[in-house]
Amino acid sequence: MAVMTEAPEAVASDSMLSGVELRGVMKRYGRHLALAELDLTIRDGEFFCLLGPSGCGKTTTLNLIGGFVAPTEGTISLHGRRIDTLPPHKRPVNTVFQSYALFPHMSVLENVGFGLRMDRVAKAEMRRRAQEALALVGLEAYGDRSPAQLSGGQQQRVAVARALVKRPAVLLLDEPLGALDLKLRQRLQLELAQIHREVGTTFVYVTHDQEEAMAMADRIAVLNDGRIEQLGTPHEIYRRPATRFVADFIGHANFLDVTVEDDVAVLADGTRVPCAGGRSAGPATLMLRPEALRLTDPASPPPGSVRGRAVQSAFLGAHVRVNVACAASETPLVVALQGQDVTAIPEPDSEVAVAWDAADGLLLEPARDGQVGP
Amino acid sequence: MSAAATAVELTAPVPRHRRFAGAAASYAGFLPAIVLFGGFFLVPLAIIVCYSFWEVVNYDVVHHWTLGNYDYFFSVSTYVTTMWATLWVAVVATAITIALAFPFAYWLSRYVPQRLRPLLLVLVVVPFWTSYLLRVYSWLTILGEKGLLNRFLQWTGITDHPIGLFLYDRPAVILVLIYLYFPFAALTLYASIERFDWDQLRAAMDLGAPPLTALRKVLIPQIRPGIVTAVIFVFIPVLGEYLTPQIIGGLNGIMIGNLVVNFFQAAEYTRGAAVSLLIAAFIILLLFIFRRSLSAPEAYGG
Repeated sequence: MAVMTEAPEAVASDSMLSGVELRGVMKRYGRHLALAELDLTIRDGEFFCLLGPSGCGKTTTLNLIGGFVAPTEGTISLHGRRIDTLPPHKRPVNTVFQSYALFPHMSVLENVGFGLRMDRVAKAEMRRRAQEALALVGLEAYGDRSPAQLSGGQQQRVAVARALVKRPAVLLLDEPLGALDLKLRQRLQLELAQIHREVGTTFVYVTHDQEEAMAMADRIAVLNDGRIEQLGTPHEIYRRPATRFVADFIGHANFLDVTVEDDVAVLADGTRVPCAGGRSAGPATLMLRPEALRLTDPASPPPGSVRGRAVQSAFLGAHVRVNVACAASETPLVVALQGQDVTAIPEPDSEVAVAWDAADGLLLEPARDGQVGP
Repeated sequence: MSAAATAVELTAPVPRHRRFAGAAASYAGFLPAIVLFGGFFLVPLAIIVCYSFWEVVNYDVVHHWTLGNYDYFFSVSTYVTTMWATLWVAVVATAITIALAFPFAYWLSRYVPQRLRPLLLVLVVVPFWTSYLLRVYSWLTILGEKGLLNRFLQWTGITDHPIGLFLYDRPAVILVLIYLYFPFAALTLYASIERFDWDQLRAAMDLGAPPLTALRKVLIPQIRPGIVTAVIFVFIPVLGEYLTPQIIGGLNGIMIGNLVVNFFQAAEYTRGAAVSLLIAAFIILLLFIFRRSLSAPEAYGG
């Protein structure tokens, strides 16, 4: 893959300023509130992910930055300059659409060159830069083809090249890998991350796939119901989810209803279980990741462990998943045993005890009414 | 499949008569069309062509070959003027009809929810439930001296006496023709815009194209076959119109179709045939201009 020779000019000159800034952005469709008071700063050059379930407002946020949707309230600026008043064709922002939206009546090279043609770039220069962008995505030999002659993955790459050819200050990607199969998706995730490093442009990536977000993003904003639930690095969001929603959305999580007394979590039956603390007295949710749990001998359980019954074990290659039914949780606890524990797979219906380190027991807000476990 | 069939033919030649029978069978479906098209179109057309080169003597068609009918038509300046005026009316009416139908089809396929579209399409077609003549005559009650338009203008005080200008001239004819042919253009354009992926327009604007440029460079090229079809559906029938110009246009609004009718009513069959063929010549010229956009592969996005 070739490296794009010139850095985006806007980025180079204004590197001291923040990238995209959304201040008090609200979007209402009739009576439906799509986004509520969004404050968000996307740093220059970072790979930023907007992650959330469908209808959470992530695509609306992307469309607000791209200019296809106008905010009901609030301002959007890029490098300190307001852009929410500009029409889409005047924003230094380009988009990779979910459907790719390639122009079927143009060749691949004409597709990639379209943005430059709109800028009245000279023909030879246009060809050179379009060819360069195609080389960036590994399709330099495909310029004369028509988009219909390309596979889904190749079309996706053309869409990326077409959006990058104008060296935008920000590249918006709207679930660009959604239509591809898993293997191809994983390969393109690597390629996109690589392209991001090569061009250094800010990427704003929308997805509902948490693994995709974790694999590529520098920072992730988890959205729910038009609000940011948490903003942080993949590590922070996985290890220290701020809310029950985030814990549940990112990876798998076990939830136990507890009461906090003197920095200790107490189950309904009075068992005092280890937790990281940091929450004032009262009802709370104890969040435990499957890989933080251990199975111990039920004959002599360590203090603070939870007794239960192994209802099912499944060998999943990299780890063994054991479901443990226990009185403390309505749904079975999910325990992920890593490689070295595989010999200790419990028999179905055998008694087990589940233990964990205090540092791995995270206290979150209590379950709301009607919100029952994951 | 066809490759396999070719391979078989190459290795084992099929007897000639069986090959012919096979070929004939595959064309059998065309038979009704050939009978209909040949018997009711090609044969009458051939008769008209012959007529246009014969002459009428004492109200009788004489099989005497001549170019006199064409000569005569082009020697009378009123006829030539009417011919050019007809072309002009057809061009203007077609252009305005398409210009009105395009935004309609665009709006319908982009902004109207799927479930409301059938209703709107039915509303477009509703005028066809009444007779053509009735629809044309109804315009007299709108444009006439005591018509709706004049009464409205007098009621608002814009004028104190009826304006006769609305009727019996070409603008009125063009107005009614637009009204008559709008549904054809709207339905044809809707059918071709409906399949368009609107993200492409957003992509074009995202890449720096102002809205109208995006339309011109991305939408229009992809629906060109639909536009050409709409133009043909409007232009061809308008060129041969004679009732609307007669009822709405009066003496000033006469078109070439009226000349044909007049010739035939005066038993000048050979001159009428010649004028009909002139109309046909213009239509063939139009189809020739658009021949590339009408080729099947382009029409189906190939």
